[in-house]
Amino acid sequence: MKIDFNLNGVQVSVDKDPLSRLIDVLREDFGLTGTKEGCSEGECGACSVLLDGKLVTSCLVPLGSAIGSRVDTIEGIRDTKLGSIIIESFANGGAVQCGFCIPGMVISAYCLLSSNPHPTEDEVRLAISGNLCRCTGYDLIVSSILDASRRLA
Amino acid sequence: MNYVAFSLKQALEIRKATKARVMAGGTDLMVSAQRGEGMMPRFEGDMLLISHVDELRHIGFNASGELEIGALCTSAQIAGDSRVPWALRAAASRMGAVALRNCATIGGNIANASPKGDLPGPLYALDARVRLLSVDGAEEMLVSDFILGLKKTKLKDDQIIGAIIIPKMDEWFDYIFWHKIGTRRANAISKLTVTMAIKLDQQRKIVEDFRLSATACGAKTNRSREVESLVIGKKVQELEDLVAPVQEAFDKVISPRAMPVFRRTATKNMIADFFSRVARLPEERNME
Ligand SMILES: Cc1cc2nc3c(=O)[nH]c(=O)nc-3n(C[C@H](O)[C@H](O)[C@H](O)COP(=O)(O)OP(=O)(O)OC[C@H]3O[C@@H](n4cnc5c(N)ncnc54)[C@H](O)[C@@H]3O)c2cc1C
Ligand code: FES
Ligand code: FES
Repeated sequence: MKIDFNLNGVQVSVDKDPLSRLIDVLREDFGLTGTKEGCSEGECGACSVLLDGKLVTSCLVPLGSAIGSRVDTIEGIRDTKLGSIIIESFANGGAVQCGFCIPGMVISAYCLLSSNPHPTEDEVRLAISGNLCRCTGYDLIVSSILDASRRLA
Repeated sequence: MNYVAFSLKQALEIRKATKARVMAGGTDLMVSAQRGEGMMPRFEGDMLLISHVDELRHIGFNASGELEIGALCTSAQIAGDSRVPWALRAAASRMGAVALRNCATIGGNIANASPKGDLPGPLYALDARVRLLSVDGAEEMLVSDFILGLKKTKLKDDQIIGAIIIPKMDEWFDYIFWHKIGTRRANAISKLTVTMAIKLDQQRKIVEDFRLSATACGAKTNRSREVESLVIGKKVQELEDLVAPVQEAFDKVISPRAMPVFRRTATKNMIADFFSRVARLPEERNME
């Protein structure tokens, strides 16, 4: 089936089974490998992307659900003003160790800060509660997101 | 073959013609069908994706003043709508984490018929009904009649859940209790969830109505009108003396296979907590 959607601001089209997983289409058909696959079961958040501005785990999203929608991945978000502020804060704040969870973390942070630019620490923890990190113990990620929030005008 | 429907009419026609299995948010189905990186998920038989059927996405009151929640409404949408009764909002707001709540639908939660599903508990206590649609017409039944047991429902192979209907309830309950015990705040699958509701008479002396349901205590969500009748008609001041008999009677209804002692004790503690708080007639109506 021909499937049209908007990917990081560009209109795209693929011919695929509508029940293919969105993550596979992003990584394999479009080479957008910033979206990571951890658990394949919706538990780890490594595959997070935005679907019409809403946070989703792309391992659970059937491609057909993206028809006519807008999908934003880490590759699209990193060059936005908010995206680059978050990434800088992560780098400066020592939030990154192995890095596997980071694209998903950045997407969750982006989603939070775009609707709530000045969250409390609890709100930050809740916003990334679906993103697992095996390395950092979360504290430096949380403080980096709070730092990004402070740097927003 | 897998199908995508863009209108309710189209969805019902495809369902009738092909008997394809319905997929809404996919959060249950995509997990059970996944085969790992780069692989097409494996489904048994044809699938029908209904996530674009906008007719099933509304929340609103019908002409009889009942609240109708479209089957495709997500947990995030339900949690954020103040017209939805508090216990259902609370349950929706604790399902998984942000991304899960943006995809998981109420229709999928009911049709999935997991004893650990979070939404049936409050829906049972609220006497909510499910509306089943097919090309040949609609039928309605209590959610508690629709769910037969583990992964079993009364859904016919040409039907799609259209909406969940919550009876008019504004002044129904004076006190509602909802509490979920899970392992962690996010992604916590329920180990035990108890919903209770009490309506008092005008003088606030007599219990006019009482509801009690428990999730994750057997093959499906449990509710028993017999147990509820032990409390209905009793004085508020007597509530604390009713904890033991209610708990004993409810014990015979639930059948926790795993951790029975924990589940029975925790249920008892929650009943005791709710009754003793209500006996003091506090301002606070919603209790967790
Ligand atoms: C990481 C993770 C965490 C989770 N946490 C929770 C939790 O805390 N609490 C909880 O209750 N659940 C949880 N779940 C389970 C799941 O998200 C819910 O059951 C969800 O509500 C299912 O809805 P869906 O639309 O995604 O269902 P789908 O996967 O699309 O479908 C599920 C079932 O319902 C049927 N179905 C769906 N819609 C309809 C319809 N309109 N008419 C007829 N049949 C239909 C499908 O055929 C299928 O049998 C979790 C799942 C994951 C992956
Ligand atoms: S890979 Fe999708 S949530 Fe883990
Ligand atoms: S930095 Fe390694 S998983 Fe988070």
